Amino acid sequence: MWRLNKVRHKAGRQGDSLEELKLKRREHEKALRQARRDRQLVSKRLLLNDDEDLPQMVTSNLSSESAPWREAHLKTLSKVLRDPSAQLTFIKQENSMHLLVGFLTGSDATCRLQAVRCLHELSHSSHTNVSPACLPATPYLLTYLSGQSTKFTELCLYTLGNLCPDSDIVKEKLLAQGIIPALANCLENQRHNLAVVEAVGFTLSQFLQAKDAAEKIILTVLDSSLPSNLLSVLTSDPKFGLAPAIECAWCLHYLTCSMNDNRVLLAHGTLLQCSSLLVSLGGAVAEGNKEEGMELFICPLLRCVGNLLSSCPGKDLSTQVGDVRIVVALYALLQAYLQTQPALARESAWVLNNLTAHSSAFCSALLDLNLVPGLIQLLPFSQGINTMILRILANIAHKKKEFCAQLAHHGLLSALCATLKMADQEMVTLSMDVLYMLVVSGPQVAEEFVRQGGLSLLEAIQYNSEGEIRRRATHLLEDHLLSYSSYLSSILRQ
Amino acid sequence: MLQPELVRLVTDARSSVKSCDEDCSSGSTGRPSEDEQGDLFIFTPQLIHLHRDHELFEDGDIHRHMYLQDLYVSEADDKPSLSVSEFACHISGCSAAFISLEEYEHHYNSLHRHVCCSCRRSLPSARLLDIHIQEWHDSLFTILAQRQDMYQCLVEGCGQKFRTSTLRKDHLIQIHKYPPDFRFDKTKKDRGTRQTKRQQQKDTAMEVVDDVCESEGVCEVMCDVLSNQPEQGDSMEMHVGEEGAARMVKSASPEEHVHLSAAAHSTENTSTEPLKPRYSYRIPTTVCFGHSSVRGFRGGRGRRK
Repeated sequence: MWRLNKVRHKAGRQGDSLEELKLKRREHEKALRQARRDRQLVSKRLLLNDDEDLPQMVTSNLSSESAPWREAHLKTLSKVLRDPSAQLTFIKQENSMHLLVGFLTGSDATCRLQAVRCLHELSHSSHTNVSPACLPATPYLLTYLSGQSTKFTELCLYTLGNLCPDSDIVKEKLLAQGIIPALANCLENQRHNLAVVEAVGFTLSQFLQAKDAAEKIILTVLDSSLPSNLLSVLTSDPKFGLAPAIECAWCLHYLTCSMNDNRVLLAHGTLLQCSSLLVSLGGAVAEGNKEEGMELFICPLLRCVGNLLSSCPGKDLSTQVGDVRIVVALYALLQAYLQTQPALARESAWVLNNLTAHSSAFCSALLDLNLVPGLIQLLPFSQGINTMILRILANIAHKKKEFCAQLAHHGLLSALCATLKMADQEMVTLSMDVLYMLVVSGPQVAEEFVRQGGLSLLEAIQYNSEGEIRRRATHLLEDHLLSYSSYLSSILRQ
Repeated sequence: MLQPELVRLVTDARSSVKSCDEDCSSGSTGRPSEDEQGDLFIFTPQLIHLHRDHELFEDGDIHRHMYLQDLYVSEADDKPSLSVSEFACHISGCSAAFISLEEYEHHYNSLHRHVCCSCRRSLPSARLLDIHIQEWHDSLFTILAQRQDMYQCLVEGCGQKFRTSTLRKDHLIQIHKYPPDFRFDKTKKDRGTRQTKRQQQKDTAMEVVDDVCESEGVCEVMCDVLSNQPEQGDSMEMHVGEEGAARMVKSASPEEHVHLSAAAHSTENTSTEPLKPRYSYRIPTTVCFGHSSVRGFRGGRGRRK
């Protein structure tokens, strides 16, 4: 099971300075980003033995005379196989895999464990031709998923998960061999065993990320017991660690974002569960309890809720997201992660947009709970944050004229006077639309706008380089603000 | 941080909150039907579905995979930078960008605020704009100027008036120690001066045009007009005199007639030196006007973004 602080110890002992580490991380991150753009983002996990910390130089451990020689040799082999060139050498040798499979299925349990360890090392290889070489072992690995030995099952699972992304042939074979039902059973039977649950989650997520997952895999998954079991993992006691819940949440995310129609998941109560989870997480964050790694859990939950909302029929919204406090939670997440994880803040804003798009209740909640001023203060921040927030405010304005008056009261007009001058064209267009809604909502708002010098702002906008914007400014001036005497006097002044 | 009452709200499971058992008439029936111009403003609330590979998900995905590959760091050492939107001047033809709103406001107030409607020239203050309009676009002024001192001193509070702009200019130089090339005292006679290549054309100083087109594609039209003029001007002004003046007058807009002919008359006698540039009733090139860096509405001759 992964413990986050384990990583730091690892890193420290490796002897690299902090700077070198940072550099490595940054480079690695860049590589990952490029991989994602190429739709090639995959990861493998290496489960380390409990008695070791690092991939270090192999030291054969033949001290004990009573240890059976096979087991010792296998153990040595597993350490040797950490080396990439050793991996290639191994698979090139005839019968090597056959031999390994023999140990894997033999009567000696310890040998089985060491054999699966060897396979695990092989599966972690970055050479794509190593995985196909492991195919002879896969039927057995799958069979062993229904076993009861934790460590063994874990290794089988991670091995299978690592093998999946390397080649389509491997993936097809595994699917044909029934990996999805096997995973479903494993999760069903071992729900209490968090290490195994985490491993199932990881392996399943590998399959769900496949490019053609939607057609082949996801429908099978939705038909099984997996969705409800994944959900139940989410709500298990968090004091046992977030890691299993993290994996299951990501699985749910891959399920929701790949389909446009999420009725099955909605029927399982996914939206309800995920949104209540967000409420409690938002509460924890608001109180300052930011557990380490929490954002790894919050992120997929946000995405599930966001995408499920977009498939949720409006009339069901109240039953699916019963708790209005979700807007507070999302607001708390926005504020809490704005500086440290702006992407998470942006995703929170996205969910708020989907919540407020067609629901007056949620819009009204934002107003009543006095969250609007805080939202307005976020309008300077770019990279998609301010456009999303402006959409939220536009959603509110769109509902009722009374809402417009309240928005104006909270200072949206002066904020718009600034956003209309931003470089981002989308911000300018959105701002014009919001301004229009506010101005036409009632004379008080229009007057307030005039009082804040809005007329000269619009007059300037009449010279905007975009024709659409010019026309809007002119329309606002002529059709809606003409009645205000200060406008007339400003004309005469020219 | 959230206000305490909000924290309580979200953490207290027992708090009674009204659930959203309301509406959701799909669509936008909440808005009263707008006038026919309503379709100019196109915003409607939208449910946004993001597919797996959407760029909005990139950072989160990277974070996840860094964790999978044992590269997770909790509070990042290199803090991802939260960036702030830039501002930009959207005036047609101007492409300046700014980090802060203050910079933007300063730019706008300096260069775009006091702009003459007729000729698009930008003046730095309301007073200078008023004087400009008076002296350049007010036919009444022109008429009165023939009989009385109408050209005000540009220095606020001085109050003196002069019969001609030259006299005022002299006053400014002598008494108020203005530079001879003060940018905002261009005289009308320079209109149509294609201040030649010799003058700096480093940027976007825009000169007057007679007939300002009100259409959207303002820049091209005006630039075209302007570029046409000097050829006319050149050939005409080779032959200084009634004929030239008259032809100039014809090409100008009606209200300028009087003024131009007046100008022509008044400067005829100054344009005698053979070494003077061909634009005979223009200010000699040693005295340069109007090659300021003032950025008007138009981005410079033909320079249209």
